[in-house]
Amino acid sequence: MGTEESFCPSDEDAERWMCSAFHMAKDALDNGEVPVGCLMVYNDEVIGKGRNEVNETKNATRHAEMVALDQVLDWCRHSNLDVRTVCERTALYVTVEPCIMCAAALRLLNIPVVVYGCSNERFGGCGSVLDVSSAKLPHTGTTFKCVSGHRAEEAVEMLKTFYKQENPNAPKPKTRKDRALTEPN
Amino acid sequence: MEEPQTKRFKGPVCDVDSWVAYPVLSDEQSQDVELIEAFAAPIVNKKETSRLVRELNSRYPLNGLQHIKRVRACKGKSSSHPLELLLCLVSEAPHMKEVSMESLLPSNEVKHDGLGEPFLVKVPARPPLTRPQFELASKHWPTSFHEDKQVTVALRGDLFSSPQKERMQVYMTSALTAAKQGKGLGMEAVGAVVVDPVMERIIAVGHDCRGDHPLHHAVMVCIDLVARSQGGGSYSFDKYPACQYTPPTSISTPASDTSQNTPDVETGSQPYICTGYDLYVTREPCVMCAMALVHSRIGRVFYGSAFTDGALGTKYKIHSQKDLNHRFEVYKGVLGKQCEDLNGLDKSLEGK
Repeated sequence: MGTEESFCPSDEDAERWMCSAFHMAKDALDNGEVPVGCLMVYNDEVIGKGRNEVNETKNATRHAEMVALDQVLDWCRHSNLDVRTVCERTALYVTVEPCIMCAAALRLLNIPVVVYGCSNERFGGCGSVLDVSSAKLPHTGTTFKCVSGHRAEEAVEMLKTFYKQENPNAPKPKTRKDRALTEPN
Repeated sequence: MEEPQTKRFKGPVCDVDSWVAYPVLSDEQSQDVELIEAFAAPIVNKKETSRLVRELNSRYPLNGLQHIKRVRACKGKSSSHPLELLLCLVSEAPHMKEVSMESLLPSNEVKHDGLGEPFLVKVPARPPLTRPQFELASKHWPTSFHEDKQVTVALRGDLFSSPQKERMQVYMTSALTAAKQGKGLGMEAVGAVVVDPVMERIIAVGHDCRGDHPLHHAVMVCIDLVARSQGGGSYSFDKYPACQYTPPTSISTPASDTSQNTPDVETGSQPYICTGYDLYVTREPCVMCAMALVHSRIGRVFYGSAFTDGALGTKYKIHSQKDLNHRFEVYKGVLGKQCEDLNGLDKSLEGK
């Protein structure tokens, strides 16, 4: 228990990894993708990263975090390490607050800490719409700590830019349901 | 892909009267009637009523309480006066040592003619949204009520006809069968089925696969199988014979990997993820699965038994959550007993 409590990245680490997350988001934006960058770090090593894959998979649950979590699981398998042991020492760095679904998934995998940039007023699961991260849910993994506000304005700006330019991958984003395909998290 | 055989599951059909699908309503629809204190007075001279209402409406307009009727008829013949008039909320009333009509309604603003002595009442703070709320509210003070007939019928448990229930039962039986097959492979005993209710066909059947991947709950498996049926998908569940999908009939054009190049014209006729589909799941979905259903734009969800951390009724009501961009109807209790028994299956094994 004590080890989980004390596991938290230093400010320096947070700064460095968030910088990478922002690079990823920027890269996504330049390539017409939803500008969310996310990486999962264990022992100073990136063991998972991802971007939104909803359009190409037609699966609305393929958010950046879910893609990154799959990579973490693969990494554990290849490294022959126990998933729980690894996840309990893995931090997520993401430019936007994880949505309710992703927050629950992070709990189910016992990720102890999430560092994020701006909040997600439409879907946020770390306090914006619901606070899944700290809720009492005994059958939904473990709670996690949130460190928010890292370059928040920048993250918001990127999202705004993206929605202004329209997602070139989205089929005619006229209706509400079409727009949904390009939602951030 | 082999089409899931719905016929096979019909088997020994259990009585459709053995279960009821009740709606899982929002907090606003299911909460108790909240009351606030107000002052009322008897109308001893009926002829003054319309003048009193007019003058009161300008003195105390009851802002935000448009559902409250200003006047109520007195129940029971024993009453000495036929009507009672709502004056104002206690919170709006001027500060006074002793309740008096003069301090409540200065007579230069509202003439007291025809009014009796003021008294305290409790009135419903919010407009009633369901018939049970309306009936409770009316016991205190009459309100207007814009009835949603479907909700009223659903709350009585009468929304679905016997033929409809028979079909629902077929779908849930299919989910139960998948749950048991998953259980046989060491997974949790949870099964789910995605149905196109218009075509009356099963699009996907899945069961819990978290032995392989901790996030592959039955609902997540089904969502990916639906994606696969539309030429997408992220995983392969081919090694699980009970996890299956059927491409929608509307797609008669060569299916599969040409989807990226499909001209825009055709996308309109193709299904968009789970829009318009129904989900049948043996156990109430968790937070992750419930939100995944929001993202997937599911049409309706039917589940059998409740789950301690469930997010469609027990811990949260994500299907009616404010601020979210998609809402859907949820019904619980479909083959409730049989679904409940699955949980027993899990517990008895855990105990060993």
